[in-house]
Amino acid sequence: MSGRAPCVVSLRNLVKRFGATTAVDNVSLDVGEGEFLTFLGSSGSGKTTTLFIVAGFEDPTSGDVLVDGVSILDVPPHLRNIGMVFQRYTLFPHLSVFENVAFPLSVRRKPKAEIEAAVTDVLRLVRLETYADRRPNQLSGGQQQRVALARALVYRPRFLLMDEPLAALDKRLREEIQGEIRRIHQETGVTVLYVTHDQEEALRLSDRIAVFSHGRIEQIGTGSDLYNAPRSAFVGGFIGNSNFISCTVAEGGNDRCAIRMPSGQICAIRGSSPMATGQLVSLMIRPERIGLSTTASQAGPDCAIKVRICEATFLGESVSYKVTTEWGQSLAIREITGKSQDVPLNSGVDAYARWHSADTHIFAT
Amino acid sequence: MLLSPNRMGGGRFVLYTIGALVMAFLLLPIIFIAALSFGDSRWLQFPPPGWTLQWYRDVLYDPRWIDSILVSAKVGLVVMVLAVLLGLPASFAVVRGRFFGREVLRAFFISPMIVPLVILAIALYGFFLRVGVNGSFLGFVAGHLVIALPFSIICISNALETFDESIERAAVICGASPAQAIWRITLPSIRSGILAGALFSFLASWDEVVIGIFLASPELQTLPVRMWSTLRNDLTPVVAAVSTLLIAMTIVILAVVAIIRRDRAR
Repeated sequence: MSGRAPCVVSLRNLVKRFGATTAVDNVSLDVGEGEFLTFLGSSGSGKTTTLFIVAGFEDPTSGDVLVDGVSILDVPPHLRNIGMVFQRYTLFPHLSVFENVAFPLSVRRKPKAEIEAAVTDVLRLVRLETYADRRPNQLSGGQQQRVALARALVYRPRFLLMDEPLAALDKRLREEIQGEIRRIHQETGVTVLYVTHDQEEALRLSDRIAVFSHGRIEQIGTGSDLYNAPRSAFVGGFIGNSNFISCTVAEGGNDRCAIRMPSGQICAIRGSSPMATGQLVSLMIRPERIGLSTTASQAGPDCAIKVRICEATFLGESVSYKVTTEWGQSLAIREITGKSQDVPLNSGVDAYARWHSADTHIFAT
Repeated sequence: MLLSPNRMGGGRFVLYTIGALVMAFLLLPIIFIAALSFGDSRWLQFPPPGWTLQWYRDVLYDPRWIDSILVSAKVGLVVMVLAVLLGLPASFAVVRGRFFGREVLRAFFISPMIVPLVILAIALYGFFLRVGVNGSFLGFVAGHLVIALPFSIICISNALETFDESIERAAVICGASPAQAIWRITLPSIRSGILAGALFSFLASWDEVVIGIFLASPELQTLPVRMWSTLRNDLTPVVAAVSTLLIAMTIVILAVVAIIRRDRAR
């Protein structure tokens, strides 16, 4: 890690097996100081298990977890000095909000005055200072999670783990608390490891996102990295909307090559990795990267295929189309309103779908 | 609801009548006993020709009855404490444990409720004779503990099952050692279950008679055993008075349990 900012948390080749199944499969990553890093994946992808290994609730089968360069695997969870917010409501039901937040300091035997000041400060941070005397069952779900966040921050842990803290909340409340989490992250500068299955949440909150699938990290990078340069069809399909077309390589090459569409038409594409002629590949294009025009001559230089408009939905800022290709596949296209003179096209009309080779992604299948 | 009383018209009076009859069926023996205990007939005449507190006086001035009440209370209290102390770790084992045969163990823990009491009593009698605790305080406590433990384990493990383990994990990650987390967070959170288990354990011992009859010695008799042996020799209203006291005590304890339950539900 020489030459870079020191890592707060480093995962080294983590593996966790439960019987015959491998829940976490050789996961390695580094989290920098103050970074907000999200594990994104569907349920069973290993993201929560990885988080629980960091927290100390699970032991890895092999691999290591380093905090500031030192392994913490032999440190029991209560001595790891980690903050954690759970998916479920975990406030202590028999204690008031104040007592809940004071608990971590009280087990650390801090003096009373210090506890009082720290709890008041952190309750102000989550904007619940007037709720100090309430019981958890007198709070809404969103308020409970904010108190849980305060309780996880009050003892200034080395970093914070959050395991789908908003999963139990409804959509409106979720967005509100996402804003709160962002603000609190900026104000405190705390390093965060966050788990979610919601890509929008991940994009909104994170500095970097690690996409999990089948216990592995498929790709790790900023939201725009993952969206604009997905390294696998899985990441391309998981982040944002996309169209996938099965093609064969017509002409292999390192730089530019050509593929044969299912209709037999040859299209030039950007070659991201060397491909052999005849290889089966999957061509991915984002809906907003496809343009529509009524004549072939208007089509761009790179590729244009004949389609029939199935459905056109006017959405204000954009028009969403569903079109059918000559080989019967359905594609999604999104055009910004007013960008092309031809729009909006009516359903049933024949048109050309065109795109630039730079906007395509090719994945081996 | 389809069968709402308001919609049934005249039919609901049939329903009320059935309800009243069931209630009478359940309550009449108790009312009957209570009435007899205040009646001045030596021969348990019903309805009582007159009213008196004489039988209660007889109970309270007879050291043998007072002795028995104290024996029952002492046995009950010790059984209650032991049932909770043993029931707590047993409940953690059957709720939290991940081991082969856990369900079998759970069934085993409540089996004293299923095995006929007489069989249990004979077995305990035989065993206690051999180890020499028959008729002793220790024997009563051990015998009653067998029938009280299922109540304690059922109450505590139910409370523990509804307690989310994530809450305990949260306490641990906050810096509490596992022992601190259980002592400061888990136990207070399930305290109503523990209290209910304690009271039911006490009651199980307090009104137990079958095992008591087998274990009793002339020097050591619990209240129900004293009642039973008194009744065998003599049909006296004193027993009705004792019964009424016993019932009153039970009602008070059950009321306490009900109030705790209501508080928890709120």
